[in-house]
Amino acid sequence: MKNQEKILQVKDLYITFNTFSGKVHAVRGVNFDLYKGETLAIVGESGSGKSVTTKTIMGILAKNANKESGQILYKDDDLMKYTEKNYNMIRGTEISMIFQDPMSSLDPVMKIGKQITETLRLKYGVSKQEAKEKAIGLMKAVGIPEAEKRYNQYPFQFSGGMRQRIVIAIALACDPEILICDEPTTALDVTIQAQILELIKDMQKNRDLSVIFITHDLGVVANVADRIAVMYAGKIVEYGTTDEIFYNPKHPYTWSLLASMPDMDTDDKDELFAIAGAPPNMVHPPKGDAFAARNKYAMRIDFEKQPPMYKVSDTHYAATWLLHPDAPKVEMPKILKKRIERQKRRAGEK
Amino acid sequence: MLRYIVQRLIAMAITFFIIISISFFILRLMPGSFADDPTLPREVVEQLEDKYHLNEPLIIQYGYFLKDAVKLDFGVSLKVEPKRTVGEILASKIPITMQLNLFAMLFMIPIGIILGIIAAIRKNRISDHLISVVVVLFISVPSFVFASGLQYIVAFKWNLLPTVLSKEQVLNWARFKSMILPILALSFSGIATITRYVRSELCEALNSEYMLLAKSKGLTQLQATIRHAMRNSFVPLANIIIPIFTSILFGSLVIEKIFAIPGMGGVLINAINAKDHTLTIGLLCFYSVISLMTVLIVDLSYGIIDPRIRIGGRK
Amino acid sequence: MKNEKDIKLTERDFEFVQLEEDIKDQKFEGEAIGFFKDAFMRFRKNKGSLVAFIFIAIIAFFSIFGPAMNEYSFREQNPKLTFMPPRIPGIEKLGIFDGSIERNLRKTSLETKYKDSIVKVVREYEERGTEMVVARVNMYKYKGVEDKYFWFGTDYLGRDQWTRLWRGTRISFAIALLAVTVNLVIGVVYGSISGYYGGMIDVVMQRIVEILISIPRFVIIILFLLYMGAGIVPIALSLVLTGWVGMNYLIRAQFYKYKGQEYVLASRTLGATDSRLIFRHILPNAIGPIITSVTFAVPVAIFSESFLAYLGLGIQAPEPSIGVLLAEGQKELLNYPHLILFPAIVISILMISFNLFGNGLRDAFDPTLRGQE
Repeated sequence: MKNQEKILQVKDLYITFNTFSGKVHAVRGVNFDLYKGETLAIVGESGSGKSVTTKTIMGILAKNANKESGQILYKDDDLMKYTEKNYNMIRGTEISMIFQDPMSSLDPVMKIGKQITETLRLKYGVSKQEAKEKAIGLMKAVGIPEAEKRYNQYPFQFSGGMRQRIVIAIALACDPEILICDEPTTALDVTIQAQILELIKDMQKNRDLSVIFITHDLGVVANVADRIAVMYAGKIVEYGTTDEIFYNPKHPYTWSLLASMPDMDTDDKDELFAIAGAPPNMVHPPKGDAFAARNKYAMRIDFEKQPPMYKVSDTHYAATWLLHPDAPKVEMPKILKKRIERQKRRAGEK
Repeated sequence: MLRYIVQRLIAMAITFFIIISISFFILRLMPGSFADDPTLPREVVEQLEDKYHLNEPLIIQYGYFLKDAVKLDFGVSLKVEPKRTVGEILASKIPITMQLNLFAMLFMIPIGIILGIIAAIRKNRISDHLISVVVVLFISVPSFVFASGLQYIVAFKWNLLPTVLSKEQVLNWARFKSMILPILALSFSGIATITRYVRSELCEALNSEYMLLAKSKGLTQLQATIRHAMRNSFVPLANIIIPIFTSILFGSLVIEKIFAIPGMGGVLINAINAKDHTLTIGLLCFYSVISLMTVLIVDLSYGIIDPRIRIGGRK
Repeated sequence: MKNEKDIKLTERDFEFVQLEEDIKDQKFEGEAIGFFKDAFMRFRKNKGSLVAFIFIAIIAFFSIFGPAMNEYSFREQNPKLTFMPPRIPGIEKLGIFDGSIERNLRKTSLETKYKDSIVKVVREYEERGTEMVVARVNMYKYKGVEDKYFWFGTDYLGRDQWTRLWRGTRISFAIALLAVTVNLVIGVVYGSISGYYGGMIDVVMQRIVEILISIPRFVIIILFLLYMGAGIVPIALSLVLTGWVGMNYLIRAQFYKYKGQEYVLASRTLGATDSRLIFRHILPNAIGPIITSVTFAVPVAIFSESFLAYLGLGIQAPEPSIGVLLAEGQKELLNYPHLILFPAIVISILMISFNLFGNGLRDAFDPTLRGQE
């Protein structure tokens, strides 16, 4: 993993929004790299800035957004400097994106075949017949039965899961290098969720895609991600490989997040952990660690200064003062520890 | 699709039946027979009694009336243009009014749509604000106030266009020129309604997820707007065409009066004021049929534009 | 990352501050702003609708007190003083509304008939060998009634337009009031019953509404006019018959939205009566949309009345209405434009104001805009 080619680098990204109640600091200095062929999951609660980060990469931010600073390096180009015209050259063909709600992300009055072939026809001037063949191939690849017949149907004739498959087909129509999935399974039934996740995994393997996978659901992440970045209040607070985040979390927020997730062994005696308090108001982001107010282990310094990224291992970093050499040693909460041991055992059994 | 059309047609027939039945009973249950008027000559009264079977029981009269109504035969006008049949009078007036109304529709729909698109695309900028001022003005100020204003300023003070409709019988340039002001006056409120509607629909469509997907799959903003947002925002447009058309039909009554246009408006007012009931019922049926037809056409066009109805067969 | 070592920290920095504390969800800070207060605050910020409200108030004031402000009555005819131009004390010194009007005269009559009443000569021209002038004539001097002031002029019967205009405005307000009442009484009650009880009652009630709306509004008005002849009563009746349909839909939808919600079910379980559920728990949620849609019903009603009056199908002479005044003015548009000017201004301002006022209310009550500045 380490020596792989970095396909996308996000450096110190800072995004604000103008709103009626003031300037919202949605993303406050985010850094991450995406390696070729990997799946990077960005996890966080709503409003943590994960969608804004990916929308910035796609260049589809709302009009009231300001790109304050930062770089997004893709193939030696800084996407932050791209004009709308430049972006049109890479959207769909280099970077593509799928969205949360397949019910509303398809045009309700256009045949799905046309929606899949649209970019091919408009951008590459592919002939109608050729585009159709490619689209039907794609539809078969994403698991749509009777693709020839379905080609001429409208979105309302498809179920939710089928629509998300179509959306994936649309996103992959021009063979992009990077696929961004913005909570692609949130709006789907749990049974369908697994199928779509499987499909995304398959597509990634077969096409050597690099995937950025946004979700608030750690359970989903465990399945698909190679690496995980945990976001809170516009910052990445911890990132590492999936195993590192799940078995050796360092940031109190990651602890809380993991502890609040039910698993197979959660029974009615255990009380699920809920993170007390509310996320900070991003119009006036806190001076210190944004999570401090909700953090049981908050120290004085947490309210004063933002913690730097501490290295845990070559692939694992976390931004918390608890990792400072002078800080008191704090173990993760007992419930979480117990649970991780249980999971490790189960993973071993497998 | 066929089932859908048939359903619509049946609903329309029922409504029409209700309207003419109500008008029949209103007429017959009014104190005094409408043929009792002493000013009518003897022969006309006899003719009327014969025609409407006034000496038979009410229910049989109703039967005859329905039979005639289906054939669109409403008898002769009583007072406005005595002895001419209602059918003849309508036939001479309908083309004039419809010509004006259709021109107004042809004018207002594209203008309204264009203004709406500009306002939506330039949302919250100067052009949007200007358009919204125009919209409030056009929606609020009654068409007859606009008509008088246009007539006084454009036609009388500036002498640019004729003040009243030209007497030309064919549609030539002189006649068309004299129709410009009435068309304008008729169109303003429709333009405003369409603009406001297109703006809000298009704003919603521009913020939709399918626009995001269209852009992220590589379409330019312009391509995505034209191919997806506009297509979608035009679908419900058919919905407001009905009220607009009826309001033009309604509005042309005064506009005809102001610009001395010899259309349906004058006949209707005369018929009501002179209590010329046969003529009124004929006009009533005409207006009902026109309104119902508009509803039907719009419903059908919906079926054609919106695949959800065309294929799903439901609304 | 790189400056990790440089940061100077003391031991004190690493003390836990809230280890033993039980972290609670934050208390709601600041004063709770009620629904109406919030709406009012936002409405006040909307300058356009505030101005609109003031205009409505001014016009309402004049419609009540205007007719009594001078000595003329709305039906008092002055056969000698027909088509008098407007003349307003004070303003007349500025050269407008000074009771003068442009006339085409023979040049010779300047020195005889119009001797003292010429304000100024605009231009001279020749017609069929006669020397003519266009001159502004002070009609009050010309007719020898310099002591009289008709603020908005007089019509073809010499009736005072000021009095007639404001009296006519009363009709508009009366119709507006009727529209509001019809919407509130019939629309809200009908929609509430239909939405609250649901089931068969709802089906039957909504079928009736469907039949009503399938008949074009215009046709209903004609049917009433056919039965009763021209006048204000048939117009009012047609409004009563169909004016509430939109409100019915709105209220019914609100009831369907709220009646299944937990707080209503809870209240029902605790034994709340139907009327308590309707009036205390469900209807208050709809108060914003109700006010907004009632406001928008007003300009529609005012327009319909003046429209039919304009056609001569509305209120009958000698009673004025804005529509009647406009129609009378239209007949003399080219000679005496002032006759149409004032009623046109009043109805336009009234319509614009009600629409702007409605827009303001709609935004003020829009729950999605709550709390925004």
